[in-house]
Order: sequence, then C-alpha cells, then structure tokens
Amino acid sequence: MTHYGHQKNTHRLLLALVVVAFAAGFYKVAHHPGAASFQMPATLQKSGSAQTDSSLPEFHTDFVSTQQNISTHAASLVELGNGRIRAFWFSGSREGAPDVVIRSAVFDPEKASWSPERSIVNRADTERALLRYVKKIGNPVAQRAPDGKLWLYYVTVSLGGWAGSSITAITSTDDGATWGPARRLITSPLINISTLIKGTPFLYSDGTMGLPVYHEFIGKFGELLRIDGRGEIINKQRLSSGKSTLQPVIMITSPQQALVLMRRSGNSPKRVISTATGDAGQHWSTPTPTALANPDAALSGVVLPDGRMLVVLNNIEDGRDALSLVVSTDGGASWKTVYQLEDQRGQPTDPVRFGKISAGLAKASDASISDASGYAQSAQRNKCIAQHCDYEFSYPYLIQTRNGDFDLVYTWNRSFIKHVRFNRAWLDQRMEKSNDAEHH
Amino acid sequence: MPNITDVTGLAGVACATAAAVLLLPGIGKLTRLRLALLQGAVFALMLVPFGAMPFAAYLRGMTGDLSVTTLVLLCCAMLRPWCGAVQSRHRLALLSLITLAALGLYPMALGVGAHDPYHLGYGNLLFVAALLLLALAAWFRGLSLITLCIALATLAWTVGWYESDNLWDYLIDPFAAIYSLAAIMIYFVKTLLKWQRCRSC
Repeated sequence: MTHYGHQKNTHRLLLALVVVAFAAGFYKVAHHPGAASFQMPATLQKSGSAQTDSSLPEFHTDFVSTQQNISTHAASLVELGNGRIRAFWFSGSREGAPDVVIRSAVFDPEKASWSPERSIVNRADTERALLRYVKKIGNPVAQRAPDGKLWLYYVTVSLGGWAGSSITAITSTDDGATWGPARRLITSPLINISTLIKGTPFLYSDGTMGLPVYHEFIGKFGELLRIDGRGEIINKQRLSSGKSTLQPVIMITSPQQALVLMRRSGNSPKRVISTATGDAGQHWSTPTPTALANPDAALSGVVLPDGRMLVVLNNIEDGRDALSLVVSTDGGASWKTVYQLEDQRGQPTDPVRFGKISAGLAKASDASISDASGYAQSAQRNKCIAQHCDYEFSYPYLIQTRNGDFDLVYTWNRSFIKHVRFNRAWLDQRMEKSNDAEHH
Repeated sequence: MPNITDVTGLAGVACATAAAVLLLPGIGKLTRLRLALLQGAVFALMLVPFGAMPFAAYLRGMTGDLSVTTLVLLCCAMLRPWCGAVQSRHRLALLSLITLAALGLYPMALGVGAHDPYHLGYGNLLFVAALLLLALAAWFRGLSLITLCIALATLAWTVGWYESDNLWDYLIDPFAAIYSLAAIMIYFVKTLLKWQRCRSC
C-alpha cells in the first residue's frame, strides 16, 4: 500500500472512532437523569399530623463523645431505619493530625442514652481503599438513601490544608454496623481539590441525593452536588460565587422551593448569606445578607411542617462563645431568638476560671457526670493558649426526626460533642415565652 | 481487589513516570530497545507495592488521574523514537486548543464569575454535541491529534475509565494545561524573534 493509501485508511479509522465514541456518548447522555423536584422530609410530608406531640415539653442534653484530652469537632447526625440516631464526628490529637479518626455512636430515644463510641474510618484505611496518598481526614456527614443504604461522606486531604479537600464516601447496608470500602467523588477539575462538606444532605423526588458542598481554594462559594444511588455525580450547581460564602444549608419548604443559608467568610457585612430557588434548584437568586449575624462560623437548620424555620448558629459578629436557637415564621425574612443554648460572653478567660466554668457547664450539660475535672482539662488543653482561653460552641448540626422531635449536636470547646434533644411542645413553649417577653 | 478505575488511574500515573525517563540526561544515547526496556521497568516499578501502596499511589494522591489528552501526549513522546515526531501543525493545534479550554475552565472553576463550566461535563447534551462538531471540524481539517484526543476522551468517559463522572476530567487536566500554555508561549516568543531577525536582515 502506498503512503497516501495508508494515510487515507488511518483517516477513515479515525472517523470511525469518532462515530463510535459519540454514539456511546449520546447514549449515555440520553440515559442521564433529568431534573427532579425536592423530596419533602418525612415529617413534613405528614403535615404535622404524624407528630407524636406529647403535650409535655421535653428538653434533654448530654454528651455524645466520651474521650478526654483529644481534639473533637464537626459532628453530624442521621436518623436510622429503626428511629435511632447515629452521630459521627472526628477526633484526634489535633485537628488535621494523621491520627484523626471518624467516630460514631448511636442514640436510643427510648432509653435516652448513647451507645459506646467507636472508630469507623481512619486515614490509613482510607488511603489503602482509595489507592492514593491521604494526609488527613475530617467533616463526616451522613445520608440514608431510599433503599436504606447509609452513605457517609467525609473530606480527605492529600495536598495542602483543608482548602485542598476532596470528598470520599463509604456505605453501609446495616445502618452503620459495618462499612464498605471508600470511594472518591470527583468534583473539581483542578486535581479534584477544594470540595468540602458540612450541610445536611437531602433527597430529590427521584431518589437521588443532594449534597450541599463548598469550595474554598482562592474563591469561597457554595455548591450543590446531585448524586445517584450508585454514588455517581449527576450534576453540580453553584449556589454563590466570589470569596465570601461557605457551608451552605438547604432549607426545603416545598417540592420546588428552598432557601439556602451560608456562612459568611470575610469582612462586613458579618451576616448569614442567603439564596433561594423556586424551581427545585434549576436557578438560584443572587445571594443577599440576612438579618442573622455570623462570625464566620457554621450554622444548621430545619423547616417545620408548618413552614417555620429553625436555625442554630453563633448569632454574634465575633467569637463562638454563644450559640442560639432562632426561628423564622416568615420564610427567613426575620428571625427571633427563642433559646440561648450557650452564652459565655464576658466570662473570665484565664485558664483557672475557664476550667472551673467549663467543669460547671459540663455537669449542667450531662446529669451522669459526677467528676467534671476531665472535661475542664480537655477544654483547657484545646482552648487555652498561654493565659488566655476562648469558649467555643460551634459547628451545630440539627435534624428533625420522623416523629417530629429535634436532635442537635455541636462542638463543645473543641473537646466533646454535646447533644440536645427537644420536642415541638418545648419549642412552642419557648416561642410563646419569647412572644410574651416581646409584648411586655 | 482494586477497582478497575484505580488500576486505570495508577497505570496513567505510571505511564507519566515512564515518559519522564525521556528527560534524563544522556537518554538519547540508548538504543531504542534499551530505552523501551528502561521505560517498561519504570512503569512496572511504579506499580509495585511500597509499604501499603504502590509508588504510583503516592503520586496519584497529589496529581489525581491524568486526562486522556495528557496520556495521548505522553504516548506521542514515548513513541517518538519508534514512529518519529508528531507533525508540528497537529501538535500546535492541539496545544492551542488545550490552552483555550484551560483559560475558559480553570479561572471560572476557581470562582471567577457566577458560571461554572465544569458542570457541563456531567452529561450535558449541548457540551457533547459541541465536542462532536469540534472533533469533526478537526477531522475535516486533517488535525488528527485533536480528533483522536476528543474521541478517546469521550469513549473513556462513556465506559467510566476513571473515577470521574465528568467529561472535562477526560479532556483536560492542569498538567496538560500548564504544558500547553508554556509550549504556546515559547512558540510565540520564538516566532517573534525569528520575525524580528528576518526584518533586520
């Protein structure tokens, strides 16, 4: 065959390759899931009637984590098939250390007690499963899929600090008793860096999962991933842009409508930033500041069956020494504090008095604690530098269970995970009290 | 038992390391057979477990999976002693296209503007159609390297060759982008100097 003939054949073969590749490509696109509406949370679907609504207000606090003298942070919750609550958090010698592991415990609402905590994921296992170097792990967030499979997403870093994070997922078919191998989600074109998680995942009407994520390398903005039942990413949307919004929280109010609240990272205005959709996330409004203060700290929230929005946040412009429960009855336009979960503003910050106050707070938080000295020492270890200590109550994660009760976890002085459980009767009572206080 | 996507990812990184052998000083003195053996040995060594993981896994943690375009460019470099260099016209056209794509993709993915072109890679019909038109246009113009890269990347995305579900990750990566940008800049500087020399003579 002549050189020209050979070239012509190669040219034809190349065209054949194009035809095959794009026929397959268009076939894949044709089978791509289309747009879907939001699935209303089980409590909301029942429109309030499913509420157990015991007429007695209930409010209970305790600690989920028990390990002392370690750094503990970033707790999240998920309701299991049997109505129990599983909590996840990370702990280790310090945040970002190679010995950090993700731990978990289960809350039994009948007994009002937590199971012993145990480690479920560590850096070395993740590295082996992913077949790539992993420097540190953090921020676990879980979701229960419609098929009952439990998905645990957490961030892994191979390069740089937290801004270099990627998301890794593991699954469990027995509500977290055992877990499968880790798999990596590819969410960014820049060697897959800078996708982090904090907000509560949710479901779409077709059973796919929504995962609020954020980017914080150079730019800081919120994003939303849609993931199918096999863990494949179907879509990614941007919720904001620029360099100042993190950790979106999706507040679903109807199958088409949702409000997103985001942590403000940067200077003035030190306010929670919001964006909204009226078409199930096809389009999002321009992000705007809300009335809620924000000291560059995470928040969490849920929507009640009657449309009220309940948010837990550090409703202050500086520090994380106060944590508030706030409610909006007008779709997020205005907010009212109904309960101050923690408030140590203006308290002494020297190590001795900080330790004493922390010990007192620990005892008040959990009736089963007889000797709170370990809690005080842990808080001093994690929150004191030289002669100055900072109180920290941060990273809240709030869920409403199918029976209508509320469970909240948050970081307590970077040393423990505190749990707060309350029911609607208690919330209604608090709202009445705050209304009365306003009228007087 | 590793996933197939881990095997392909690690093989890509091992392939890049084998290609990097070409940068070693004095490598040009080796016979083609010895060079191939050396590259084969490096490729295999990268996949041998060292501690808990193969060498390639440590690199992969930092590089991620390499795009199909990068692998095609690396293969061109490795096959050069056997098949000769790729025509400069083909290479330049591909590198220009990668540079343009990188300038459009990466700044926006990092937060410049409200739009994120990366989301188009998750099965957007118009994006796949635009790529088809680009591949066909390149084919008609005889720019085979562009056509080959786009077709192979699309095919790899369709069969799930890597962990990524995003077509962009098969088309381009930051290493191809940096290499292309540098090569295009060098080309322009050289052309400018040549043009100035011709004007003065």
